[in-house]
Amino acid sequence: MATKEELQTQADAEIEAAKPLYALVNNERREFTDAEYAQAKVDLGNNKWNEQQFGYIEARQEAYGSIGDQLDMQYKDLVDGTTVWKDHIAKVKSDNPKPA
Amino acid sequence: MAGSLIKIDEEIVSSAVASVSLTGIDSTYDVYLLIMNNVSPANDNKDLYMQYIKASDSSTDSTANYDYATKGLLTSLSFQNNANTNQTQFTLQYARGSATNEQDNNLLYLFNTYSSAEYSFYTLEGSGLNFAGGLGSEQGGGAHSVAQSNSGVKFTWESGGNFASGTFTLYGLKK
Repeated sequence: MATKEELQTQADAEIEAAKPLYALVNNERREFTDAEYAQAKVDLGNNKWNEQQFGYIEARQEAYGSIGDQLDMQYKDLVDGTTVWKDHIAKVKSDNPKPA
Repeated sequence: MAGSLIKIDEEIVSSAVASVSLTGIDSTYDVYLLIMNNVSPANDNKDLYMQYIKASDSSTDSTANYDYATKGLLTSLSFQNNANTNQTQFTLQYARGSATNEQDNNLLYLFNTYSSAEYSFYTLEGSGLNFAGGLGSEQGGGAHSVAQSNSGVKFTWESGGNFASGTFTLYGLKK
């Protein structure tokens, strides 16, 4: 698990590597100002941190599947005596772990 | 009513840019309408962000005061709640695609944006195809929990990616 400082260092390097970046303002395409480059680094660092800390929530939501599909799994498990739904949920959680 | 929408600013992406800013919000109008048409990222699977531009110095506000709650109506899932507080930007759309026809289209109403005495709010109605080609329709809104005067908004993609296309038009709603 990377620290916030380590992720910021990665973000700084990525923005440097991506130069030149351009902004569209007042119908003019121009290169970022120094302040905009600095802000882009901060924003990217924040996004990397949020993705690391909270990205699992969105990933789990998508992987769980619809409530209808899950209810269907539960119904079949009850009828067949299987554990498909429980195993599915456990796998989604283990595939997308919550950061320690 | 005829003539009730007054065009303030329009930005058309014709070559790659990492940010698009719309400015010109002031006390002339209470409510502004922002329409985004055929917006797409240069690279696949990117979330679309929005931040306010401060009236005081025209800098972008990236403090952790952005709260939003939206619901994604998806053809691949029944729905998905997307809510966050104290973020450094609003997330308007998720996992947008860069392939042909995977454009994003949004309509936002902006409230109290220029008021220095109130929080700024927006409502969102959006529709587009995600990077897997599935329809994602995001509906909801957000609040910027700072009583601060803002003169515009700035759009960026996740991970600092470029815009490949898009027409952004800002209107004032005549009082």
